[in-house]
Parts: sequence; C-alpha cells; structure tokens
Amino acid sequence: MRTRIKEFRTRHNLTQEKLAQIVGVRRETIIFLEQGKYNPSLRLAYNVAKALKTNIEELFIFDDGA
Amino acid sequence: MKKKRAFLAVCITALVLTIVLISLRAYYVLVAIIAGTLLIGYRELWSLIRLRKLPPVDERVMENTSKSIRNGFIFFAIASVFLMLLFSININLNPDTIHLIGALFLSAGAIYALSYLFYDRAEPKLGERGLRMLKTFLMVAGISLAVFILSAFLHNIVSGLVGTEEPVFFIIATILAPLAFAVGIIGSLVIFLKGLFSRV
Repeated sequence: MRTRIKEFRTRHNLTQEKLAQIVGVRRETIIFLEQGKYNPSLRLAYNVAKALKTNIEELFIFDDGA
Repeated sequence: MKKKRAFLAVCITALVLTIVLISLRAYYVLVAIIAGTLLIGYRELWSLIRLRKLPPVDERVMENTSKSIRNGFIFFAIASVFLMLLFSININLNPDTIHLIGALFLSAGAIYALSYLFYDRAEPKLGERGLRMLKTFLMVAGISLAVFILSAFLHNIVSGLVGTEEPVFFIIATILAPLAFAVGIIGSLVIFLKGLFSRV
C-alpha cells in the first residue's frame, strides 16, 4: 500500500504534528501512515482524508490489486 | 476526563507498589520498574512536562499495547509452568521464593516493555529484511535454549545409565548451546535497537 498523505499534507501546509492533532493521533502514527507501513482503520483513514480535504481513494493506493 | 482518571489511577497504583516494594526490601525490583517505566513512557512524560497533557492513545497504540500485554502474559504463563515443573521434581533453584516470583514478574514486565517498544517504535522501521533477520536470530536463541535443556537432561540420563560421564551432550549443553544462544540474543538485540533508534 502506498499513500499520498505527505503530498496532500504539504499542499495544505500542515506539519505532521498539526495533522496528528487534527486527527487525534500521535505524530508517529502519521509517520507510519505516510510510509504505508500501517493499515489504518476505516475511521482513521476517513478522518485523515477529511482533514486533508480529499477522499480515501485519493490518499491510499493499493498496488497489488487487493 | 477519562484519561486524567486513568493517569490518576496509574499514579496511585505506582505509589502503593513503591511502598509495598520498599517494605519488602525489593529495591532492585523497584529500580527495574522505574527504569522500565522511563523507557516505555519517556514520550508521555516529556509531553506532560512540555505541553502539560498526555499524547493521544490512538488505535495504533491500543493495538500495540494489547499485543505486548499478550506477549508478557504468554511469557509469564510459560515461565510459571516451567517453575511449577521444576518445583514438582524437587530441583532447588532458589531458596528465596519471593525473589524468584519477583524475578518472574520482572521478566514478564521486561517482555511487555520490549514488545511494546518493538511494535510501537521498531517494527515499522525495520523493513522486511530486518524483520526476517530478527525472526531468524530469535529462532536460533529459542532453539538453542531448548537444545540446552534437552542435552542437560539427556547427559544426566545417559551418564546415569552408563555409569561414566557422557561427553557429547555435555559439550552441546555447556559450549555449543550457550554459544548459539548468545549469538541469537546479541543478534536480535542489535537488530531491535537498530530499528528502535533509526530515524524515520
């Protein structure tokens, strides 16, 4: 899984800390999400997408066709 | 509000535990618990000092905490079974049972702390290769421990049956197995710490 969180975050001039605050998670969680190393719950994915004013499909890309 | 209550409960428990441990004169347990708490919760403590609030307990943290509690519990259960077996066949390990149980709790706590740190901070940074190597080293450590116990047992049986000191299992138990165990443990620690302290 790849994510475009970093791209959208920088587009909105948000730091990892600020995004973490908005979504209500730790900064490490944002780091792991950006690296695609953590599979978030649907709620967290929705909250991140909402904070970055986009939708889940735009943020999370599944390469393996799963 | 919920978090403040939980924090208060943790503080009161810590105070009671400290008083109990001091009254039992188990100072080393107390020092180990304080060191473990600082290791696991240094970010929380830092956040409390700096921002006067605790960092959020999000789903990833919850997931990692439950995994590490499970690991600590499994370790405690296995170690308890081993202890019971040893006591049942009357092997005198340590006359001071309180210290033995204390060491058991401490080891379970250490397993909890290490697996929390692993899941929370090291695992995502290790990558596939690192995880594979860690698994291999841990397996070497585990297998060598099992081989050590089995060899010691077999050495005693064979020596008892033959009447003279049996050399093969003796060498395995005293040299080869401890060497493999040391390699496994040192290797796993190096990879674990590499993952823990590598920058994201």
